Amino acid sequence: MTARQHDSSVYEEIQAGEQFQELKRRFRAWAFPMTAAFLGWYLLYVVLSGWARDFMGTKVLGNINVALIFGLLQFVSTFGIAWAYSRFAEKKLDPLADEIRHQAEGKTE
Amino acid sequence: MSTAYGVTAVVLVVLAAVLIGAFGIRLSRTTSDFYVASRTVSPLWNASAIGGEYLSAASFLGVAGLILTYGADMLWLPVGWTGGYLVLLVLVSAPLRRSGAYTLPDFAEARLESMAVRRMAGVLVVLIGWLYLMPQFQSAGLVLRAITGAPEWAGGLLVAAVVAVNVMSGGMRSITFVQAFQYWLKLTALAVPLAFLLLAWRSGGAPGLSERDVATWALPLSSGREYGLYSTYSLILATFLGTMGLPHVLVRFYTNPDGRAARRTTLVVLSLLGAFYLLPAVYGALGRIYVPELEGSDTVVLTLPGRLIGGVAGDLLTALVTAGAFAAFLSTSSGLTVSVAGVIGQDILKGGVRSFRAAAVLAVIVPLGLAALARSLPVADVVGLAFAVAASSFCPLLVLGIWWRRLTPAGAMAGLLVGGGLACGAVLMTIGGGPYPGLLGAMLAQPAAWTVPIAFLVMVLVSLLTPGRIPPNVARTMVRLHTPEILDLDRGDWRPRSS
Repeated sequence: MTARQHDSSVYEEIQAGEQFQELKRRFRAWAFPMTAAFLGWYLLYVVLSGWARDFMGTKVLGNINVALIFGLLQFVSTFGIAWAYSRFAEKKLDPLADEIRHQAEGKTE
Repeated sequence: MSTAYGVTAVVLVVLAAVLIGAFGIRLSRTTSDFYVASRTVSPLWNASAIGGEYLSAASFLGVAGLILTYGADMLWLPVGWTGGYLVLLVLVSAPLRRSGAYTLPDFAEARLESMAVRRMAGVLVVLIGWLYLMPQFQSAGLVLRAITGAPEWAGGLLVAAVVAVNVMSGGMRSITFVQAFQYWLKLTALAVPLAFLLLAWRSGGAPGLSERDVATWALPLSSGREYGLYSTYSLILATFLGTMGLPHVLVRFYTNPDGRAARRTTLVVLSLLGAFYLLPAVYGALGRIYVPELEGSDTVVLTLPGRLIGGVAGDLLTALVTAGAFAAFLSTSSGLTVSVAGVIGQDILKGGVRSFRAAAVLAVIVPLGLAALARSLPVADVVGLAFAVAASSFCPLLVLGIWWRRLTPAGAMAGLLVGGGLACGAVLMTIGGGPYPGLLGAMLAQPAAWTVPIAFLVMVLVSLLTPGRIPPNVARTMVRLHTPEILDLDRGDWRPRSS
């Protein structure tokens, strides 16, 4: 099923194809804003630490302050985003990739 | 403190490493190829192996020491070291896996079709590897001296010798389960003593932080460090963007059968790293309460069990922590040495088995010498510098290489030279002399915030100035990078060369 070396038209066709463009579009539409969002979330912590000290120093329980809880949430959110990506890829990317694969196989046979 | 237990712990770990290395030769022959063999490994094992190789002396000893000294600011190190995997997962891992390149120089050659860029990438891999190895050896010296009173060079020499012998025999790395075991050993070696420490802390009336510490130490950006905001931003950039450029991290991503397994593995890695990094933070806080005099040193993790518990139980727990520390030195150093020796042997020497052996010796001797010469800095700070160099060189190469068609070899070369060069210069000044005062000092100690943007800028500008030099096969490479790997297409004739 492998396309032969000189037969470059198959992947040019795929790349020009609507579905492949859609696959790339879906990935970019998710990954780039998400990267910006999570970097923003981490930077927010730093900004709050710099300019909202009283808020960050508010004690919630015993010696545990808001800053500490936010710090722990950083770990949780890192994991949460990775999980969300995994879900997104399995639901939105993999099925489309499967479809493209079936069509490509049909063409090279 | 009795030295017998500590010595026994070190001897046991070193012996185990040597034996596994020796028997690993046989095992690795049956599993003919590391890359192929480990593609059948389950995500949990694979993730444990990634964690085992990744958690170095900096994570095991350094983070607790820095948290004790600087307080909440330093929680950024573990958050960044974990978050770097997220950036790697979302932006880089899948296209890189599809490229078929196993190492960073392989990727540079495949994407840019230029041997010059490949060699430059090789040089940077070696520099980053050395910079990462040096503090591992320094910490080994520190720990061995604390346990036995041996001179400081002895511990580093011991670790370097064991790693060199192991890498030359080819055993250590090929076995994913050894690295996986190392993760669980390190976790146990921190978690079990911590449980006892917390019991002792409770029965001692659960003393809290001093009033002054509650107001400053426990709050981010208030420990009175100059330019704390700049340093924190810079640290975040270095750790988030540097992880993808570490030579021993990327190669582990190939040990997944497909993208789906790679994503699952990353999820498990994130939880394993997150679970691990909670422990040094608690050590740091306990250290602040009980041994505040250890400010500025890396030994808090080793000191606490003896101080709080004492007696035979304290000695045994100290021995356990020591064993974990040596496991950390050995596992990380092995992974790095393999990567560095691979590049030296293949791209600088002639290639082949004899070159690889000479390269393995070279890979450990240089950082061993550096460890003796360099100013003694906190281990996590030096590792942070290695991340900064990686973020200022390989991050732009990977991100632009994967997502931007118009990258040219000249642009890549200029970006690597300028970004990597500036970061390396700052690093050399920081570990060679200093500390320097004022903003300049902060910029040299945490260079990523200015070197990363410069590297991106130079790479883009020089590429735009040399539009005629876009690699001829860029269209095919890009399809290869962005087509789902289940697509059974011809992905071009480029294959990673075998060493």
